[in-house]
Amino acid sequence: MLYELLPHILNGLALGLLFALVALGFMLIIGVMEIINLAHGSLFALGAYVAMAILAPDGGIPLSAMEPWYDLSPWIRYPVSLIVAPVVVAGVGMGLEVCLRRTYGKDPLYGLLLTFGAALVLEEIIREIWGPSEYFLPIPREISGGFIFEDLIYSTYRIFAAAFSVAMIGLLWLFLNRTPYGAVIKAGAHDSEMVRALGYNLRILRMLVFGFGTALAAIAGVIMAPIWGIRPVVGVDAVIPAFVVIVLGGVGSFWGAVTAGVLVGLVVAITAAFLTDWSLLSMYLLLLAVVTFRSRGLAGKASVLER
Amino acid sequence: MARSNFRPQAWINTPILISFAVFGTMPLWIEQAGFYQYLGLEILIWIIFALGFNLLLGYTGLPSFGHGAFLGIGAYVFGLTQFNVVENLWLGLIAATVLTGLFGAAVALFISHRRGIYLALMTIAFGQILFFIASKWTSVTGGEDGLLNIRRLPADFWLFSIELQDTAMLYWFAFGVYAVVVVLLWRMVNSPFGKAIKAIKQNEQRVAFLGYNVRLLKGTVFTLSCAVAGLAGALFAMAQEGAYIQVMNLQWSGIVVLMVLIGGGFVSFWGPVVGVILYFVARDILGAYTEAWLLWFGLLFMLLVMFKPEGLAGMWQDAVKRLRNAAKREAVEPAAPKALAE
Repeated sequence: MLYELLPHILNGLALGLLFALVALGFMLIIGVMEIINLAHGSLFALGAYVAMAILAPDGGIPLSAMEPWYDLSPWIRYPVSLIVAPVVVAGVGMGLEVCLRRTYGKDPLYGLLLTFGAALVLEEIIREIWGPSEYFLPIPREISGGFIFEDLIYSTYRIFAAAFSVAMIGLLWLFLNRTPYGAVIKAGAHDSEMVRALGYNLRILRMLVFGFGTALAAIAGVIMAPIWGIRPVVGVDAVIPAFVVIVLGGVGSFWGAVTAGVLVGLVVAITAAFLTDWSLLSMYLLLLAVVTFRSRGLAGKASVLER
Repeated sequence: MARSNFRPQAWINTPILISFAVFGTMPLWIEQAGFYQYLGLEILIWIIFALGFNLLLGYTGLPSFGHGAFLGIGAYVFGLTQFNVVENLWLGLIAATVLTGLFGAAVALFISHRRGIYLALMTIAFGQILFFIASKWTSVTGGEDGLLNIRRLPADFWLFSIELQDTAMLYWFAFGVYAVVVVLLWRMVNSPFGKAIKAIKQNEQRVAFLGYNVRLLKGTVFTLSCAVAGLAGALFAMAQEGAYIQVMNLQWSGIVVLMVLIGGGFVSFWGPVVGVILYFVARDILGAYTEAWLLWFGLLFMLLVMFKPEGLAGMWQDAVKRLRNAAKREAVEPAAPKALAE
């Protein structure tokens, strides 16, 4: 029984680690700027679209100058899209942060509302450029498809996605905990005024952290694209699990978010194995069960959310 | 003696009368203004919904991002009552209001001790749960197709009954509902209960220290607001002659917040009314020119949050204040030379 569930568990792990990646970017922004970025999902979607524009001729940039590029091997184009898409999205995110500056120090609700407006605008822009139809990301053949191991079918790409997410989460942890930049970001989440008093430029710090957080969403978007497909509304599908992961894991806790992400992914995937239609509901039930008993989630501290 | 406490201005005031004059005559002139009857009906129903919602957002300061779900529940309950229980308008409306209120109360049990952003997140989660159930429980809700062929039932009075098939007639009926709702809501925000919820918006802890049961107050507001949403949902089901899932999704719940905020729900009872009218008129006018009208509306909303989060009502109040100050200055200035002459 458990053995037959193995492919589902693997799928859930990949999904959960990606949720965790989205949620960690989201949490960095909550930490330093005390802002709930409702546009996070739209930036996730934008990441997938930008990657597609770089990778695929059909949804891509319709310039004849681009044609030699599309002839190159996907093994060159795919890594490039994985780097360029987050950079482009980080630029958009930093632009959004500039708009957000006026809401700092006010009721955190205003930041939430502004980013909701931004989500609406971004989704409409995506619709304007690419239309409402669904696209697929043409990834290199070696990592797509599936294989059979002991009578069970596994998806190669999910394994790649899980491994990639683990690497990204590991790098992020190293960045936050083993570099001076990470120290400044963590200090900014703790007490941003003190960081300013120590001579760091808070405006630039906030802008960079916002860009960094949205870049993580974009990377997750590119990795998720072959699993979910690329649609304008895909952002909502990503941002909701990210909320759930944050609330479940507890705000401000790195490993809380990772644990919650994996938990959510596993619960969704295992429910899907038995009741496909109801898989997402299980995520919310899990949230209710945890939050009813531990109001700050698994490992949360007091935060802006409670104000 | 009891009558001595009766304050008519707590029940009705000039803006309410003006709104009666405008909405009460709307079917007569809306076509001359270049619109159509159904738009008026839609606007009025969403105004009822938004007024109820603003109890939460504007008065109590509870940002709910899942309120569209309750509009949807109201519509489904109205349709299901009609199909399975009894074909009676009044019973349908009561069922929609009460049951949606009960749904609201159930959700309130889980979230009424939370505030601010945390509450917003939890309402998103609950809104999604309800949306999700409605979209998957196809045997009851019709799923993605919706609940079709909901009838516009006649309004039975004791001696006679009025057919509401015609959109203009349904509008008059909705106007009657609006009149009742707006007077009751206005009375409520001017009651001690209304004072208490406004105080919660300013400082929840202090209200608790004064001995109020904050959780109960917040739960009550949430329930009432959901009940109003259910009523609006029932009217919406009649207007659309069906109940559909779309209004329950996150985007629609967010758009309600957007309407209320643009109008100025934070500072005025009338904010939601202004906001809903602006939204629907903008949809019709901008929508005629561009598919992406929400893009422009969203940008307008972003600018408003950045520069004037008090919305249109806030701008109006500022303008009135400036005019008053100018008038005062004019009244003072002629006196100044006189003082010099003496």
